[in-house]
Amino acid sequence: MRTKQEYLIRYKDGNLYCELADIWIDPSKPVKKALITHAHFDHFTFGCEEYITTKETAILLKKRVGENIKIKTFEYGEEFKINGINISFHPSGHILGSSQIRFIFAEEKWLISGDFKLQKDETCRQYEIVKTDYLISECTFGLPIFKWDKTNKIANDISKWITNSPDKTSLLFCYSLGKAQRLINEISQTNFKGNIYSHGSIHKMNNCYKELGSDIKDTIKIENKNKIDELKGSLILLPPSLSKGSYLKNFKNIQTAFASGWMAIRALRKRSGYDKGFVISDHADWEGILDVVKKSEAKNVFFHHGDSDALSKYLVEKESINVLLFGKKI
Amino acid sequence: MSLKKFSKLFDDLDSINSTNNKIEVLKSYFLSNQPIDNSWAIYLLTGKSNKRFISGRYLKNLFSQIYEYPQWLIDTCYLKVGDSAEVITLLLKNKTTSKNKKLSNISLNKLLEEIIPELSKLNEEEKSLEIKNIWESLPEDNHLIFNKILTGTFRVGVSIGLITKSISKLVKIDEEIISHRLMGNFKPSIDSYEFLINKNINLEELNSKPFPFLLANSFEDKIFKDSISDFQFEWKYDGIRIQLIKRKGNVSLWTRGQELVNESFPELVEKILYIKDDFVLDGELLVWNFKEQIAFDFSFLQKRINRKSPTRSIQIKYPIIFIAFDILEINGKDIREIKLENRRIELEKYFSRWQNKAENNTTHIFKICDLIYPKDWHDALTFKEKSREINTEGLIIKNKRAKYTSGRKKGIWWKYKVDPMQLDAVLIYARGGSGRRAGLYTDYSFALWKDQELIKFASAYSGLTNIEIKELDKWIRKNTIEKFGPVRSLKPEMVFEISFEKIQISKRHKSGIAVRFPRITKWRKDKKINDADSLEKAYELMKKIS
Repeated sequence: MRTKQEYLIRYKDGNLYCELADIWIDPSKPVKKALITHAHFDHFTFGCEEYITTKETAILLKKRVGENIKIKTFEYGEEFKINGINISFHPSGHILGSSQIRFIFAEEKWLISGDFKLQKDETCRQYEIVKTDYLISECTFGLPIFKWDKTNKIANDISKWITNSPDKTSLLFCYSLGKAQRLINEISQTNFKGNIYSHGSIHKMNNCYKELGSDIKDTIKIENKNKIDELKGSLILLPPSLSKGSYLKNFKNIQTAFASGWMAIRALRKRSGYDKGFVISDHADWEGILDVVKKSEAKNVFFHHGDSDALSKYLVEKESINVLLFGKKI
Repeated sequence: MSLKKFSKLFDDLDSINSTNNKIEVLKSYFLSNQPIDNSWAIYLLTGKSNKRFISGRYLKNLFSQIYEYPQWLIDTCYLKVGDSAEVITLLLKNKTTSKNKKLSNISLNKLLEEIIPELSKLNEEEKSLEIKNIWESLPEDNHLIFNKILTGTFRVGVSIGLITKSISKLVKIDEEIISHRLMGNFKPSIDSYEFLINKNINLEELNSKPFPFLLANSFEDKIFKDSISDFQFEWKYDGIRIQLIKRKGNVSLWTRGQELVNESFPELVEKILYIKDDFVLDGELLVWNFKEQIAFDFSFLQKRINRKSPTRSIQIKYPIIFIAFDILEINGKDIREIKLENRRIELEKYFSRWQNKAENNTTHIFKICDLIYPKDWHDALTFKEKSREINTEGLIIKNKRAKYTSGRKKGIWWKYKVDPMQLDAVLIYARGGSGRRAGLYTDYSFALWKDQELIKFASAYSGLTNIEIKELDKWIRKNTIEKFGPVRSLKPEMVFEISFEKIQISKRHKSGIAVRFPRITKWRKDKKINDADSLEKAYELMKKIS
């Protein structure tokens, strides 16, 4: 067995790092070269000398980091070389532009899953199965209590939730990049035909999606001048950061909900303080992770992002897959 | 009512935080459903059916056997979810693929009166087969309620008070009347619901109506400026506040939460009935040490509160007393408008009359509170410090000239509680919470110094704010030394002020001491672990008390 230092990709200062290419993956501190899987805030940082990512992520990233950053972009599946290592991006189905990253060096394949989901989502490219020897996978929802319903079922639940309270203004909290656009797309295909409003931060991302060719429905940007009465029976999408504090005082007679995979657990739902929780996630559920591990044909698996103890033990016991540890104090 | 319909009501109530909205949902539910459905909903929501048919552990084992699922994996999930019924519900999802949901319209009646009681007659193998069969024949949305009923853990954040309020608003009958009607053996039936909403209020119901309680405020230093002779002083007992009503041959014991508790204390009701006068008294109910004439701990009282129809042996083991401190009505006359000192005279007058007539030995279960007469405020403080010795919480200080008003108005009654004992201790272990606190480390163990070693002396889980809990949870995850199942041992770094009510010798604990009601009162971020207290200091505290 190799020591930690001998792996092509390893953990260094809490980040994934490939020494041979001197390149970091989704680093949390400024570095020379950063590969970015997707444009969520916990996957990039300001101040890197060079970013390398997909075309779509590059556009989203520029909106968030600034137009002047140095970015090199590649198409999905397009291979490029750094220090003799072949690198390519592949769709991960998480949000628009999100990717898995594959490394091939001396006939050894490595795959970094990035954040991924297998469920249908018309606002981004479908997850692509990529074969590998080593898999580094996220496991945000790595317990069997997490089993996602079909997206259209959840969308219908949301539609019913709004239309059953026609006197109320329905505030649905969700992440402004990815989840919001997916929800707009799904809800506009349900029986709910009322107005959908978006908070400014969400509206900005909606426009990016449209520029990139996504045909999500137009929503109205919520502004202070909106009359309380005209919001009755409407849906308003807001980022979770506004759920606590004075912002909600702008509305009257509201009901609130949060759209997240964590809402599967009643205690978390209660603790979060929202009236209702809709269980919808842009990450894979337990079966999804197992599916990807199997289909990738990886002989060696690492997990990061999440509590992986149960998942690792399960894979070792039930599937005889070699689960390795890094980035953890052992 | 069908289980399906009830599951829907549960979901609706579970997705609302506001109390007013919950009342609206209940009202419209009661309006749009049949009396029999309403009756069942009330029966379940008020927890009158919280009987445990099988334990949570058994349920988890059963699932593990039936679906050949690793027990450790279920246990790991449980740590995240904090409720056995819910874990199994989540794991059952998509497992029961059978299309034949023949129980999809099963009535609660059949489920609770036939199917579930039948389970206990089966042997282990049959039982497991039957439960599997029920799971597979029930629609998925109903699994949670079924599992919760099975494990007797059905709770939905709807109190009996909220149900009472909803019905009261719906039919425009006073809450006290509804509360009276909901008391006791409420059996789900059309008749029981019709009775609940009957507009004709009978005399007995009217006679049992309590007055709103007068509540005490926390003591404020400015009172020291007033003359001590303006006040009446009593001990503050740690029992349950009771309004005792005897009118026209009926006795009602009301708690502050508007609950009738006659059934828990039948011996008191029986004795009061011997007295000829009618009256309304305000007082405290306690489990009493008759030999030493002091109260037993509140924990003794807990053995009585939730037990309806206590057996004779329970009554003897935990003897109760009602200590009256005020009189609000005498022989039909409301006397709340007269000032306290005169009400006290009435109370003493009547009480001695009842005693002299020896109306059947009521002294053993009923007395009036003794007054304390401090010479000055300094003397009052001395009394306060003594309260712990006689198992009271401190003093109640009452304005002699005040009427009996309702609510927590300032300047009428004050509670002056004895300060808790405190030690600064080091956090050494943490354990995951359950229920609402599932997935967070919320149960903590604390240690004191003995020479160079930290010795565990208390566990506590209350006192931190939600924000502090989250912050500490993050710290715990980063500073774990070792995991033993759900417990983590931690880097000794954090110091907390722990308050408690009592300290005594205990052979069962390594520290040699046991404390009562330990709770966190401050996160001492300003202190290093070397500033934490020693066991020796705890021993000194103990000596000082006894």
